[in-house]
Amino acid sequence: MSAVTADMRDTIAPPSTKAIAPSKGNRPWTFYALATLFALYVLALYGPMICIYILSFQDIRGGLVFPMKGQSLHWFVDLFTQVRTGDVKGSFDRSIKLAVIVTIITVVISFLAGLGFRKRFWGDGVVFYMMIGSLVAPGLVLGLGTGLLFQALGLNASWYTSALGAQLSWTLPFGVLVMFAVMSRYNRAWDEAAYDLGASRWQTIWLVIVPVLAPGIVAVALFGFTLSYDEFARSLQTAGSLNTLPLEIWSMTLNVTSPSLYALGTVTTIISFIVIGASLGSIVLIQKRRGRAAEG
Amino acid sequence: MQPSASPAQTSPRANLAGWLYVSPLVLVLVPFFVAPILVVLAASFFATDGFGGLTPGFTLASYVEILHSALTLKLYLATIKFTVLTWVFTLIIGFFVAYFLVFHVRNQLLAIGLFLLCTVPFWTSNIIRMISWIPLLGKEGLINQALLALGVIRQPLEVLLFSDLAVVIAYVHQLTIFMIVPIFNSMARIDKKLIEAAIDAGASRFDIMRLIVVPMSKSGIALGTIFVVSIVMGDFFVVKVMSGGGSASVVSAFYEDVGVLQYPNAAASAVLLTLVLVAIVSLILRTVDIRREITS
Amino acid sequence: MAIERGDIELAGVCKSFDGVTNVVDGVNLKIADGAYCCFIGPSGCGKTTILRMIAGHEDPSAGEIVIGGQNVVGLAPVQRRTAMMFQSYALFPHLTVRDNIAFALRVRGMSRGDRLRAADAMIEKVRLTSFADRLPAQLSGGQQQRVALARAAITEPRVLLLDEPLSALDEQLRVQMRQELRRMQRELGITFIHVTHTQLEAIALADLVVVMEHGKIKQAGAARDVYAHPHDRYVAEFMGGQNVLSGRVEKVNGASFTLAQAASDGIEVPLQARAKVSIGDQVDIAVRRDDIALVRPGQALPEGCATSLPSRVLAIEYQGYFVKVMLDTVPDDEFVAYVPERTFFADPLTVGDVVMATWATCSARPLAQRSVAQREF
Repeated sequence: MSAVTADMRDTIAPPSTKAIAPSKGNRPWTFYALATLFALYVLALYGPMICIYILSFQDIRGGLVFPMKGQSLHWFVDLFTQVRTGDVKGSFDRSIKLAVIVTIITVVISFLAGLGFRKRFWGDGVVFYMMIGSLVAPGLVLGLGTGLLFQALGLNASWYTSALGAQLSWTLPFGVLVMFAVMSRYNRAWDEAAYDLGASRWQTIWLVIVPVLAPGIVAVALFGFTLSYDEFARSLQTAGSLNTLPLEIWSMTLNVTSPSLYALGTVTTIISFIVIGASLGSIVLIQKRRGRAAEG
Repeated sequence: MQPSASPAQTSPRANLAGWLYVSPLVLVLVPFFVAPILVVLAASFFATDGFGGLTPGFTLASYVEILHSALTLKLYLATIKFTVLTWVFTLIIGFFVAYFLVFHVRNQLLAIGLFLLCTVPFWTSNIIRMISWIPLLGKEGLINQALLALGVIRQPLEVLLFSDLAVVIAYVHQLTIFMIVPIFNSMARIDKKLIEAAIDAGASRFDIMRLIVVPMSKSGIALGTIFVVSIVMGDFFVVKVMSGGGSASVVSAFYEDVGVLQYPNAAASAVLLTLVLVAIVSLILRTVDIRREITS
Repeated sequence: MAIERGDIELAGVCKSFDGVTNVVDGVNLKIADGAYCCFIGPSGCGKTTILRMIAGHEDPSAGEIVIGGQNVVGLAPVQRRTAMMFQSYALFPHLTVRDNIAFALRVRGMSRGDRLRAADAMIEKVRLTSFADRLPAQLSGGQQQRVALARAAITEPRVLLLDEPLSALDEQLRVQMRQELRRMQRELGITFIHVTHTQLEAIALADLVVVMEHGKIKQAGAARDVYAHPHDRYVAEFMGGQNVLSGRVEKVNGASFTLAQAASDGIEVPLQARAKVSIGDQVDIAVRRDDIALVRPGQALPEGCATSLPSRVLAIEYQGYFVKVMLDTVPDDEFVAYVPERTFFADPLTVGDVVMATWATCSARPLAQRSVAQREF
C-alpha cells in the first residue's frame, strides 16, 4: 500500500542515488545468499500461478494436478457454457462494472481527501483513524454489519448498493494513503504561484494539481480497480442475490473440481494483467510525453 | 502534508475547508464502516429466537456464552498460532527481500523492476493465488510426485494440502508483499552516506544491519506488522479452504455462526475480536507515527 | 478602481501567526512608484512575511497596505496588480517554458493563439527563445530564474515581488543575474521589492534599502546612506564595513565629545547638530573599516587624526585590492582595518605586530542609542 509510495516515487522521478552497498569490488557472500532467497521468493510467488495457467489448457481428460493431459481450450468454453459452473459471465460483467464504479468514486474521493489532509484541521485525526479502522477491521464482520444494517433499514442488499459501499470502505483507505504519499511530493508554492497568477481554486486544481499528480492518480485508480475486482470478504454478506466474480470463484471452489476453475483463474488473471499493464503503461506514457516535450 | 500549525491554531475557515474536502470520505465511512460496526455491537447484546430473528434488548448472554466456551479459547489459540507463524515468516522473508533490493542491487532501474515484479501479484486475485497451490501441494501434486520420484518418501504426504501447513503457506504467499513494501520504503530512505560513514568507522556488515538498518526500518516493520496481523486475524477464507475444514479461526467460526443465523453469538465474537485487534494495532501505533510515516 | 501606480505605503502593519508574538511589528514605510526596494535582515526578521502580505499571500493582523492609493488588504494578487517570484521559482513542472509563461493569460481566458504570441514575445525579452519548449527540470538555475521573472512579468504588474531570487544560484551567476534584474526593472518601469539576506546584493541593486530586525524596520534609506551612515549599532554591524566601539562620554566640548577608553586616551568624536550627548552617557560610535590607518608605534599620526589606539594584529586576510587586518583594539568588539593592498605591502605587517590604529577624527560617527528596553532585550 504505501507501496506505491516507493514505487510511484521512483516512477515519478527516478532517484539519482545509487544502490548503497559496495558500488565497486567483489560482491560479498551475502549478495549470493540474498539473491538466492529472492529468486526462491519470486519462484514461490509466481510458480503456483503459472502451474494453474498451464493446467487450464488441458483437454477434456484434464484433472487438477500434473501431468498435463492434452492441450485445448475445452475448459474455457466449458466455463462460459456449462450451467453447473454457475453464472460466470454475469458475475464477470457485474464485477467489472462494479470495479469501474468503485475506481471512479475512489479516485475522486481520495483526491479530495488528499487535498483536505494537506492542512491540519480540527478533527483531522478522527477522520484519519476512522480510515485506518476501516482498513484493518475484519472484512467479513464489516460486511455482516452492512448486511444487517440494510436489512434493518428495509433495503435490499445488492452489488451496486451495499456491496459498492462495503468495497469503498476497503478501497478508500488505500486510495487516500496512496494519495498522501503522492501529495507529499507536491510543492505548496505551486498553489501560491497559480493564485498569484490569477487562477481560481478550480483552475488551480485542474491546470496544476491534477496534471502534476497524474501518475499518482493513475496509481490510485489501479488500487481502486484491482482491490474491488478481487474483493471477497466484504462483498460476501452484501452482494445480495447476484454474485460478483470472487464470490462466484468461491462457490466454484466448493463444488467444481475440474480445470474450469483454473480456466477461470487464467481469465481473471489476464484481466488483472491488462489493468496493471494499462496503468503502468499510462504512467510511463505520461512521463515520456513530458520527457519528449522537454527535448523538443 | 507537512502540517504547518497544530490543529488548535487553525482558523475556522481552514477547518471548514478541510471538512469540505474530506466530507465525501466521511460520507462513505460513516454508513459503511462506523454504522456497521455499531450494528454488530448492538446485535451482540440482542437475544435470538434461534431462527435468525433478533430480539432487540440488552443481554450479555452471548458474551457469557462465548467467554465460557472452551471452543473460544481453542479458536483464539488457533488464530494466534496462524498469526504468529505468518508474521514471523513474512517478516523474515520481507525484511531480507527488501534488504536485498535496497542494499545489494547496484542498478537502480533493476531494483525498481524487481520491486515491481514482487508487487504485481498483489494486484491479482487472492483466491486464485490460493487455489494455485492445489497442483503443487495436493496428494498427487508436484511436490509429492517429486519426493516420490526421489525416493524420499514412499507414501504421498497428506499434510501438504488441507492442513495447517497449507494455511500458513497460503498466508505467507499472499501477505509477504505487505511486509516488503513498507520495509523497502523505509530502507530506501536511509541515507547511503550513513552506511559509508559506518564502513569508514570500521563497522562490519552485521553491525551495519544491527545498528543502522534494523532501527531505521522499524517504522516499516511496524506498518507491515499491522497489515499482516490485521489481515490474518480477520481472515476466514484461507483457513476454510486451505485447511480443508480441518482448522478454524475466530472469523471462520463467526462465518459458521452467521451461516446458522446465530447472529448475537457471531456479533459478540466479532466485537471481542475487534477489541483484541484494536489493542494490538494501537500497541504498534505507539511505536510509530503512521501518519508521518506515510506522508513524509 | 484599477491600480495604475506602483507606489506602496505600509501603515502600522503587524502580522502574528499564533496571536502571541508579532512576526511583523508595526511597520511603516513608503516606497515610490518604480523604485527598486530591498528588504534585508537575518532569517526570521519578518522580511518575507512583509513581502507575502504585499503580495496578498498573507493578510496582516493589523494595519493597512496601500498600493497606488488603494488599500489592498483582502484583495487577490491579480486585483492588487502585484506578481511574485517565489524563492525556488515554483515553476509548474508539467508545463513547458512557454506554457509556464502563458499560464496567467490562460487563466484569464485569453485565446490560445493570443497567449502564445504574448508568451513568445516575453520569452524573447528574457532571451530564452531556444528553450521555449523545454520543461523547467531541463533548465539551469539561471534560466529557471528568467522563466520565473517572465511568468510574473507577463501580467503587467505594477509591483514585482521577489523572494530571495538569487539565493539558489552560484556566486558568479548571482552577480550576472543581479544586473539582469536591474535591467528588467528599468525596462518594465515598475516597482520591484526584493527580499534578501545578502548585504552586497541589497546595496548593489536597491534605490531603497530597508534593514529589519525582529519584525521592525531598523533603517530605511538609499543604499549609500544605510551603508555609510548606519543609524545604530545593529545596522552598522549587519551591513558590515564598520567598526563599532562603545564607551562612556568623558568630556563634551562644543563641536565634539570624548569617549573614555580603558587602555588609552579617549576617542574624540565630532558632535552632530541634533545629537545630544551628556557626560556619563554610554555611546556607540562607528568608524568605517577603510578609514582606519595603521601606524607603527612611534611614527607620526596622519593629519587630522586625534585618536590612536594601540593594537595587536590578530589575523591577516588578503582580499585582492585590499588587505583585511583584524586587531584586538577594543576588548569586546571586532575591530578590522581594510588597508589598500599597495599601502599594506609597502610595510607588511605580520600577526602579533603592535600597531596604532588611527583615523581622521571627522570620520567617526556617533550611533543612535539603543533604548533601555532594547538593551535589556
